[in-house]
Amino acid sequence: MTGALGRFLRGQPLGAAGAVVVLVLVAVALLAPLLAPHGPKETGFATYVAPSREFPMGTDQVGRDVLSRVIWGARLSLYVGLVSVVFGITLGALWGVVTGYVGGAADTGSQRVVDCLMALPPIILALSLMAALGQSVNNVILALVILLTPTAARTLRAVALGVVANPFIEAAEAAGASRTRIIVRHLVPNCLASYIVLVTTNISYAIVVEASLSFIGAGAPPDEPSWGGMLAQGIQALETAPWMVFFPGLAISLAVFGLNLLGDSIRDLTDPRLRGGLG
Amino acid sequence: MTMDLSRLARLAALAAALLATIAASVPPAGAQEKPRPGGILTWFDYGDPGRLDVHAESPLVVQQATAGIYSGLLQYDPDEPSKIIGDLAERWTVSADGKTYTFHLRKGVKWHDGQPFSSADVKASFDRMLNPDFKSPKCGASLKPMVASVEAVDPNTVEFRLKFAAAPFLPSIASAWCRVAAKHVLAKYGDLNAPEAQIGTGPFKFKKYERGSVIEWEKNPGYFVPGLPYLDGVKQFILVSGPTQLAAAKASKIMLWDAWPPMRKTQADELGRARTDVDIYQAPINTVFFLYLNAKKPPFDNPDMRRAVNLAIDRQELVAKSLEGAGVPCAILDPKLVGDFALPLDEVAKAPGCRQPKDADIAEAKKLVEKHYPGGLDVEVAVRQVGNYVDRGQLVIAQLRKIGIRGTMKTHESAAGYAAFGKGDFTIIATQDRSMDVNEPSGVFHIAYTSQSGSNYGQYSDPKVDELTDRALKETNHDKRKQAYWELQRYLLSKGDHASIAVGWVEGWFFKDKKLRNYKPGLTTYDNNTFMKVWIAQ
Repeated sequence: MTGALGRFLRGQPLGAAGAVVVLVLVAVALLAPLLAPHGPKETGFATYVAPSREFPMGTDQVGRDVLSRVIWGARLSLYVGLVSVVFGITLGALWGVVTGYVGGAADTGSQRVVDCLMALPPIILALSLMAALGQSVNNVILALVILLTPTAARTLRAVALGVVANPFIEAAEAAGASRTRIIVRHLVPNCLASYIVLVTTNISYAIVVEASLSFIGAGAPPDEPSWGGMLAQGIQALETAPWMVFFPGLAISLAVFGLNLLGDSIRDLTDPRLRGGLG
Repeated sequence: MTMDLSRLARLAALAAALLATIAASVPPAGAQEKPRPGGILTWFDYGDPGRLDVHAESPLVVQQATAGIYSGLLQYDPDEPSKIIGDLAERWTVSADGKTYTFHLRKGVKWHDGQPFSSADVKASFDRMLNPDFKSPKCGASLKPMVASVEAVDPNTVEFRLKFAAAPFLPSIASAWCRVAAKHVLAKYGDLNAPEAQIGTGPFKFKKYERGSVIEWEKNPGYFVPGLPYLDGVKQFILVSGPTQLAAAKASKIMLWDAWPPMRKTQADELGRARTDVDIYQAPINTVFFLYLNAKKPPFDNPDMRRAVNLAIDRQELVAKSLEGAGVPCAILDPKLVGDFALPLDEVAKAPGCRQPKDADIAEAKKLVEKHYPGGLDVEVAVRQVGNYVDRGQLVIAQLRKIGIRGTMKTHESAAGYAAFGKGDFTIIATQDRSMDVNEPSGVFHIAYTSQSGSNYGQYSDPKVDELTDRALKETNHDKRKQAYWELQRYLLSKGDHASIAVGWVEGWFFKDKKLRNYKPGLTTYDNNTFMKVWIAQ
C-alpha cells in the first residue's frame, strides 16, 4: 500500500496535490459541525464586518459568519456532487452497458433518447428542471442526475461495445452463460475503470452546476450555505464587502481544481496509453 | 523655452474674457429656468407587471407602468405634493352635511384614441371599482367603505354620494390608483390588462411593453393641459435584481430612483462614488414592511401560534440589518408621515414583541410553540424574489428558529408570488412591503388589517378591528379621530394575534439626476409618477 502510494506521489505529483485538496475538502465537510465557529444560518452578528480575528472571513449582509458558511458549504457541495454523480453516472453506466450489449432496436432507440437529452444545453435543461421541480437541495441533485445520466450512458456504451468484441464474451456465450451473468460477471467489471474516471471527473462538474444554479437563484434555497448562493448574495455588495465573494469563490476554485487534478490523474493511471506520464 | 510677457498678458486677458463669458451664460442660483421640451426620461420598475389593470391590481409596478397614461378626477399637485388639485375635474363642491361631492369636469378632453371624454367614463370607472364583486385592492378597497353611489348628473358633472362624511374621501379620490378609464375601452376589452387597452387622457400615450424588458410612453400632443408634457417620452426598464438596478444607476442608464425598493445606505454610498451628477437623498417611502401568517390554515389558524411569531420577530434587528437602520421599527403608523395619529414611539417600543431585550418575549413564544408542537415544527416561508426580500426572509427564518419554528424558504417570481398570496397559498410570507395609497392614517388599516383589506393576505378577521377602523374613518373631529386610532393601535399591539404583523416603516435612499428639473417626490410612492411637468436641462 505504502509502495503504491509512493509510486502515485512520484508518478502523479499534480494528482497527489489534487488528492490533498480533496482530502481537505472531505475532512472539512465531515467535520463541519466541529470546525465552524458558528452556525451557518446564525444571524446574530453585525453586518458587513471585514475579515478580522473574530471573523476571519468577515460577515455577510444579514450578519452571518462567512467562514462558517464556507465550511458548511463544503458539506453541501460535496453532498450534491457525490450523490448526484454516483446516482447519475451509475444509472447512465447501467443504461449504456446493458443497451450496448443487448444491441438492436433497444440500443438504437435508447441512443436516440440520449441524443435528445444531450442536444439540450445542460444549464438550460437544469434551469427548466429546477423551475418545474422547485428550489431544494434534493431537487438540484435530481436535476444533476438527469443531466449526467445520458453522458454516462453514451460513454459507458462505447466502452461496453469494446469489451463485447473480446473473445471471452463470445466464449461465455458459447458456454451458455445468461445475458445477466455476462453483464454482471464480465461487462461491468471491465467497465469499472471508466466508470471510476467518469465519477471523479464529474464531481467537480456537479459542484460547478450546483453553484451556477444557486448563483442564479434556481438552486439551493437562499438560506442554505451554498457557495454559489453566497457568491450571488456577495455580488450585491461587491464594493462594500468583497470578502463575501472572494472566499466562496476561492472555495469553489480550489475544490474544482483539486477534483480535476485528481480525476485527471486517475484517468491517466487507468489509461495504458497515458500510464507513466508526468501527471 | 521662454514666453514673452506681452504674449502672456494677452493669454491671461483672453482667459479672463472667456471666464467672464461663461459666468455670464450660467444663470445665477435660484434663477427661474425656462422648461426645455424634449428628451426621454429613464427609470426602472422593480418587476414585470404582467397585468396592467390599474383598477384591479395592487403592485407598484402596475401603477408605475400606467401612471402617465391616465388622469384622475383629482391629483396631488406635482409642484406641491401635499396639495390636492383638480385633474379631470376643474373644480368640486361639497354639500353642507359633507356627504355629497360634486365634480365639474373639464370640457373638450379627448381619449388617446380621439374619442371624447365625459362623465359616463367617470361613472363607468368608479362603478367598476365599487362593484362588490370586483376585486379592486387599491382604489376600490379605500372607497367602498365610504361611497354609496356615483351619478353622472350631466356630461360634465359627476356626483359622489357618501355613506357618511368621511375625511379620507378627497385624498382617496386623488390617489394615483383612482384613475379614470374610458367606458368604451372597458366595454371593448373587458378589463385594462392588455397594452392595447391602455387608452387614457394622461400626458403620455402607451407606446411599448416588452415583457421583462422595457415599458415606453410617448408624449400625448393632445394633452388637455396646453404645453405639457415637456418630455418626448418616458422609458421604464424592468430591472428585477438589486445588483442590476444599482449597475444601471452607476452606468447612468437611469436618471431617477424614486420608487420602491429604496437604495440601502451601502448602495447609495456606492452610487455616490460612481456618479457625481446625481443628488442622493434619504426619505421615507410611506410603506410598511409586513410579515403575514395564514390564519386560515394550520399552524397559524391557532391564535397562540400567531402570538408566538408576533413575540419572536425582532423588528429592530430586521430594520437594522435589512434596511440598514433606515426605518421605524414596530410602528403601525409612522409619526413622520401622519403626525399625532401615530401612537408615540416610546409607547410602541414597550409593546409585546417590540420591547428590547427580546429574551422574555422569546421565552414566552417558545412556551406557546411547545404547548402545541412539543418537538417544534417545519413551515414553508414564502418571499417574492424582489428587492432584498430574500435577505429579510433569511433573517425571519433565523428568528423563528429560536422558538422552534424551522422555516424553509420558498421563493416566488414577483407576479406569481402575488397570485399565490392572493389565493392564500402560503403559510408565512416573511416580508411584503405595502405602500400607502394615500398619506392618511386610515390607509394602513384598510390595506392590511380589516376583514375586507386588499392586502390582508392572512385572511384574519377581527370584528373589533373592523369596528374601530370604521369608527375612526367616520370621525371628522381631529382629536376624537386621534383617540380612535390610538385605541386601534394599542389593541393590535397588545393583543398580538393579528395575521398581519407590522415590522416597521421603510425608509431608504434615492437619487435624481441633476439635469432633471421640476421633479418632486410624491407623499406616497404612487403619487407624482406622471412626469407631466418634468423636463431635462441640457
